[in-house]
Amino acid sequence: MKLHLDPRTKLFLILLCVLSAMFAPNLYFQFALVTLIGLLAAFSGKWQYALRGMIAYALICVFTVWCMGVLTGTWRTMLIAFLGLVHKVYACGMLAGLVISTTKVGEFLSAMAHLHIPKKLTIPIAVMLRYLPTIREDWHYIKDAMRLRDASPTPWGFLKAPAMTINCIYVPLLTAASKTADELSIASVTRGIENPKPRTCLVKIQMRSADFLTMVFFAAFLAAEIVWKAVGI
Amino acid sequence: MIEMQNVSFSYPDSADGGLKNINLTIPDEQCVLLCGRSGCGKTTLTRLINGLIPQFFAGELTGKVLLDGENLFDLPMYRIAEKVGSVFQNPRTQFFNVDTDSEIAFGMENEAVPQEQMGQRVVETAKALRIENLLGRNIFALSGGEKQKIAFASVYAMNPQIYLLDEPSSNLDMAAIHDLRAHLRLIKSQGKTIVVAEHRLYYLMDVADRIVYLDNGHIAGDWTPEQFRLLSTEKRQSMGLRALDLQDEKPICAAVPKQPPVLELQNVSLAYKKQPVLRNLSLQAAPGDIIAIVGHNGAGKTTFSRALCGLHKETSGSYLWNGNPQKPKERMKSSYMVMQDVNYQLFAESVEAECTFGIKHPDATLAETTLKELGLAPFRARHPNTLSGGQKQRLAAATSMVCGKDLLVFDEPTSGLDFDSMVRLAALIQRLSKLGKIIFIVTHDYEFVCRTCKRVLHLDDGRIQDNLPVTEESIPMIKEIFDVRRTK
Amino acid sequence: MQTIQKKGLTVKDLVTIGIFSALFLVFALVGGIFFAPNPVLTFYMPVGSALLCGPVYLLMLAKVQKRWAATILGAIMCIIWFVTGMHWAMALGYLIMGIVADLVAGAGRYRSKKINSLSYILLSLGGTASYLVFFADPDGWAKTMLGNGTEQSYIDTMRNTGTTWILVIMLAGTILAAAVSAFIGCKMMKKQFEKAGITK
Repeated sequence: MKLHLDPRTKLFLILLCVLSAMFAPNLYFQFALVTLIGLLAAFSGKWQYALRGMIAYALICVFTVWCMGVLTGTWRTMLIAFLGLVHKVYACGMLAGLVISTTKVGEFLSAMAHLHIPKKLTIPIAVMLRYLPTIREDWHYIKDAMRLRDASPTPWGFLKAPAMTINCIYVPLLTAASKTADELSIASVTRGIENPKPRTCLVKIQMRSADFLTMVFFAAFLAAEIVWKAVGI
Repeated sequence: MIEMQNVSFSYPDSADGGLKNINLTIPDEQCVLLCGRSGCGKTTLTRLINGLIPQFFAGELTGKVLLDGENLFDLPMYRIAEKVGSVFQNPRTQFFNVDTDSEIAFGMENEAVPQEQMGQRVVETAKALRIENLLGRNIFALSGGEKQKIAFASVYAMNPQIYLLDEPSSNLDMAAIHDLRAHLRLIKSQGKTIVVAEHRLYYLMDVADRIVYLDNGHIAGDWTPEQFRLLSTEKRQSMGLRALDLQDEKPICAAVPKQPPVLELQNVSLAYKKQPVLRNLSLQAAPGDIIAIVGHNGAGKTTFSRALCGLHKETSGSYLWNGNPQKPKERMKSSYMVMQDVNYQLFAESVEAECTFGIKHPDATLAETTLKELGLAPFRARHPNTLSGGQKQRLAAATSMVCGKDLLVFDEPTSGLDFDSMVRLAALIQRLSKLGKIIFIVTHDYEFVCRTCKRVLHLDDGRIQDNLPVTEESIPMIKEIFDVRRTK
Repeated sequence: MQTIQKKGLTVKDLVTIGIFSALFLVFALVGGIFFAPNPVLTFYMPVGSALLCGPVYLLMLAKVQKRWAATILGAIMCIIWFVTGMHWAMALGYLIMGIVADLVAGAGRYRSKKINSLSYILLSLGGTASYLVFFADPDGWAKTMLGNGTEQSYIDTMRNTGTTWILVIMLAGTILAAAVSAFIGCKMMKKQFEKAGITK
């Protein structure tokens, strides 16, 4: 049985996660937060994602501890700063990735409609998420096309011939984007996206006990951090 | 019933695609095939029925379109969407969701079908269209043909009274076209009204009840299939229409004197993300060869053609050019691919500039003669994006000639081309062949192969299954490869 | 009868904004990624982000030509930065500057290339917000960035590099990079997209 959370729950979890990452008093808490997200991923049926995310983070933690202990001087500052940013963003990024991969577009639109968030914001966000993989596909085609014309799709190629590289990247990408914008909106309006009736959803949008339980877990974690900090001071 | 009364329409800044004084009545349960050259107005006609004109496309419009007596111009798009379902040409840009189930349900969700009924309807739809295997998948992982089936399923799930299809077969292979025909028969048996605008006619000949021919914005013919079949081949071709029956197509490509081969592949194996795709390919090609690469989706046609151009890295075996082994970099230098979506490879701001784009010391006279030779000289100042699909392909071919490439790969060059453009493309390829280029064509188009290719290379099960000359004797086998018998 | 163009944002406009937001995000990340993780260069991240997005932004405005486009783009960037755990001020900066950029571009009825370029420069300044917070309160900044205030050397480095002239360079650099990007974008619009019939 896979855990399937309501999109509204996921939004709230993201908020809690951002706060938890911000307030985390030390590395242990950061790691615990990532573990918590890993567990959530595993329960949602994303075993591989959970495992990969946690192992990578464990390595980063080990590396951080090593840096703090061994290194000195500029290198240390540079790396600590870099790692500081990684630690800061890692948990939130991991949760955001999990949320995006487990939330269906229709589900997102319906849940946002329940929260009275206007379509003017939710449709662009849904389209944006749907379009990101397309950019990757486009980029593969463009790389092929550039290589066949003796243009190199690398930073080095850019330095050699900046004007040409700029054209090669922007022109097909933006042309394809405009074309997709036209055709995708046609495909949406001919299937009634402008219908003013409240949208229904293939997946049932409902807060279940699992939603509340998950929220309680994350909220408790945040509370524990705050208490720890208060006691620590 | 759809009634068009004295409808005229013109787009703001284009002479093409307009309609003049159209009077057309389509009774319920009729299946109408709209045909005609590119730019004749058949797409525009479908846009009048699904309300995209006037609500999406601006322009000068007169007349009336009635749907069951209601004036369509007064209805909002979402009301029309409940009655008229539309499927379009490009499978990549039609989906709004990332997973197939949601995409099938998308139209129903907009119509606010209750949640309890929706799951049931998705399953029913998948069953009726025999696409159960596509449920629960990521759309980005599907082939073009599978995406097109999902687009059809999404409309089918809404259960509209009228189906509009605008060149639905453009990006499909023979097997997928066969499935599309089965889907059309299914909705026909359910008493739906169907309007299809198409260039490929053969698969619709036993589905359509009526064939409407448009020429330059006018209705220039309105036949039953029986009457339509009686048109002579010459007459049909002069109207710019493609074959009605693939069985009748014969190779027309004259054999050329044999030349010694310059390209040789020895034991070439290809893998994609460490999974073997093709094994132990051996092949020879001489200057002027025109070789069709055919096979099912996933047979490795794309991987093979990318490897020929040096773009695919996971490869072993040797590629010999005049007996000398070629590295991928060298292959990249000497070869060129005209992509299926040619827009990705046009970078410059004018046709003229495109020809010499990226060349350090361009040969202006060579560029000029090439443009003249390919009939692009009148467009030299135009932006490549304003050209038609066929003209863009021509321009891509022109750039390859200016760059002095010896090997050319065309990837699905006939998708979306009308008869005239196909004939012109065939002539272009013949000319490139005469110049001594080696040409590979990835294609599903049997009619085009008959017109153009000298050999057919059939890839399946990870190897070359057949390597046949396109001659009278081998035609039965080629027909089998293309599944032509099945469409009879 | 001339067909009527609808007022307000249509579905086509919303889809266009969504698609161009995706491109904007990708280019902003690619441009900023080299700078972000380095304490000396981190101040110049907005410069990198500003350098690549100009053509995307200008083409989006040219395609939509209506109020709200820039605001929605700014709001989407705000949400993304917030959700991925970036500094809150950066997220807020994009939201506010998105509204400002919208108002400015609106003054030229979204058609003037010069005013649209100016609006892009303003939007790009949204990325500098988290650093402005640093100058207002360096210790608090380091605390939220690192999650704990223990790593004194980082703050020291930030303090040492974070002098007033850095602030000036960061702001001027962002404005300059955005201007260059907008300039390239304008040229590209004129040379390519207007001729190609992609803009209205």
